[in-house]
Amino acid sequence: MTAPAAPIARTVTTPPSDSGRPPLRRRRKPSVHRALSRALIAIIVIVQVYPLAWLFLTSLRDEHDFATGDPFALPKSLTWENYARAFETGDLGRNILNSFIVTMGANILIVLLGMMAAYAIQVLGFRLSRLVRGLFLIGIIVPVQIALVPLFIDYSTVNLLDTYQSMIIPLAGFSLPMSVYLFSSFFEYIPRETYEAASLDGAGPYRIFGLITLPLSVNTVVTVVLVNSIFIWNDFIFANTFVLSEELKTIPLGLQNYIGAMGKVDWTATFAAVCITITPLLLVFLVLNKAMIQGLESGATKG
Amino acid sequence: MLPNRSRLSVLVFLLPPLLLYGVAVLFPIMQSLFLSFFSWNGISDMEFVGLANYVRMLTGDDIFWRSFLNALGYLAICLVLQLGGALFVASLLTSLRRGAELIKTLYLLPAVISTVAIAFLFVRIYSIEPVGLLNQLLHWIGFGGLEKAWLSDVNTVLAAVSAPEGWRFTGLYMLIIYAALLAVPKELEEAARLDGASRWQLFTKIRFPYIRPVWITTTIMATTYGLRGFDIPYLMTNGGPGQSSELLTTYMYKTAFTSTDFGYASTISVFIVIECLVAVGLILLMLKRKADA
Repeated sequence: MTAPAAPIARTVTTPPSDSGRPPLRRRRKPSVHRALSRALIAIIVIVQVYPLAWLFLTSLRDEHDFATGDPFALPKSLTWENYARAFETGDLGRNILNSFIVTMGANILIVLLGMMAAYAIQVLGFRLSRLVRGLFLIGIIVPVQIALVPLFIDYSTVNLLDTYQSMIIPLAGFSLPMSVYLFSSFFEYIPRETYEAASLDGAGPYRIFGLITLPLSVNTVVTVVLVNSIFIWNDFIFANTFVLSEELKTIPLGLQNYIGAMGKVDWTATFAAVCITITPLLLVFLVLNKAMIQGLESGATKG
Repeated sequence: MLPNRSRLSVLVFLLPPLLLYGVAVLFPIMQSLFLSFFSWNGISDMEFVGLANYVRMLTGDDIFWRSFLNALGYLAICLVLQLGGALFVASLLTSLRRGAELIKTLYLLPAVISTVAIAFLFVRIYSIEPVGLLNQLLHWIGFGGLEKAWLSDVNTVLAAVSAPEGWRFTGLYMLIIYAALLAVPKELEEAARLDGASRWQLFTKIRFPYIRPVWITTTIMATTYGLRGFDIPYLMTNGGPGQSSELLTTYMYKTAFTSTDFGYASTISVFIVIECLVAVGLILLMLKRKADA
């Protein structure tokens, strides 16, 4: 809640920073400290990023180089052969498609239902709205593992095991609370007068939802989708528990096929497969990282 | 409240989300609670056993206690890496004038990558044959004697499976804490600096109290995520060797889906839920009280 005040406070106290130049007094004093913290930041960033770069480099090594060489050395020769083997071993295209279907399905539910619940709680209002808000808190605190055994049993009685729905339902259900909180904190900022004016013009709750609330919420929708997609796209536990058939396997399950399929692991091909499967989300993240970062920040502070 | 809303319209908007939430979250919680009083393998008839599962868990199951202690160790390592690391890096970043955006993005990268990919990656980092990154690094800096297969050594395996989880999410918490640190009014810091406050005093007396609400939120997030940690240990070692990296979650999973002991698995998952609730309660109690003092 204090975040919006920050830029104002900063420009008031250090006006020179507007021209991109820090105040002189600050620039002179702590140069040793500054250099030290820069070096530390650099080291930490390397620790965060290097393993990923290494993953990519390894996927371009030939097998002999990988088995014998120094792991830090650059590959002796670059080869795309691992990628060819990666596509031969698994059904990566299908895995990516499945992940896409599950992510889309869950996101549609999360956005639509989250918006509806928030609208009922925040805009329409009703007597037990505080209770319902509290109810949604449970889903944030409680670990997802609690649902595994009961859902497994329920699915097998209604024949939902091994379907897209079996993954979408719990993924959407456990993400719903965060979505409800994000939407309701956004709806708080829509001025009451807007609704009152629309009401006077004779619009009922459904028209107001469709004509005012929905169009205004586009930014929040983007936030909700981005934040949840990370978790849904990468979900392992629900998929691993409820899905058995190859045709329905999502990326995390597909990747597992690379172990054991041949008794021993073909590491360079596996790393190639890993690189292929992390690319879609990574691209989205790099393109939309501003929105995503903002979403993750607000997801935590408003939740 | 909208003036001309009807009771019906509230229900129209509220029921669908509650239905999904009920089916996916609330009802399974009740079911777990219910199942925890039964003995059931999924095929034969369910048999009511009262508190027998709880008695067995708390008094007669060494693996359970082993997993519980391991889970606490896992949590401790995650918290140090995630919250400690996040606070440290966020503080460093505030002294930076340019490039913070880029560093935030780079720092967050591991959070975008699936746990399966991370498990693969770290299996290679820890490996000894062919030599992995960690062992090679130790060799270079002159600690060659420490080289080992980190995942097969019972003394190191728990730390080895916890570190990737810490590594993965530290960027997320860093973002949140960094945003909070930026919101600390600069007048306050300036005034304290003029009064001769040291960097440490500035941090403990001005910055930290100011970000305390956000700190509480991130601590709760990191703790509940830490207690539900599953993917990485399950994929890297499946709890082994022996039970040395078994967590409550992996133990519960194996009890349910390998030994198909649904009743006892539910008892363990009820324990995990209680553990999470107690943890959140303790955090609120400790951090809130300090704020009042």
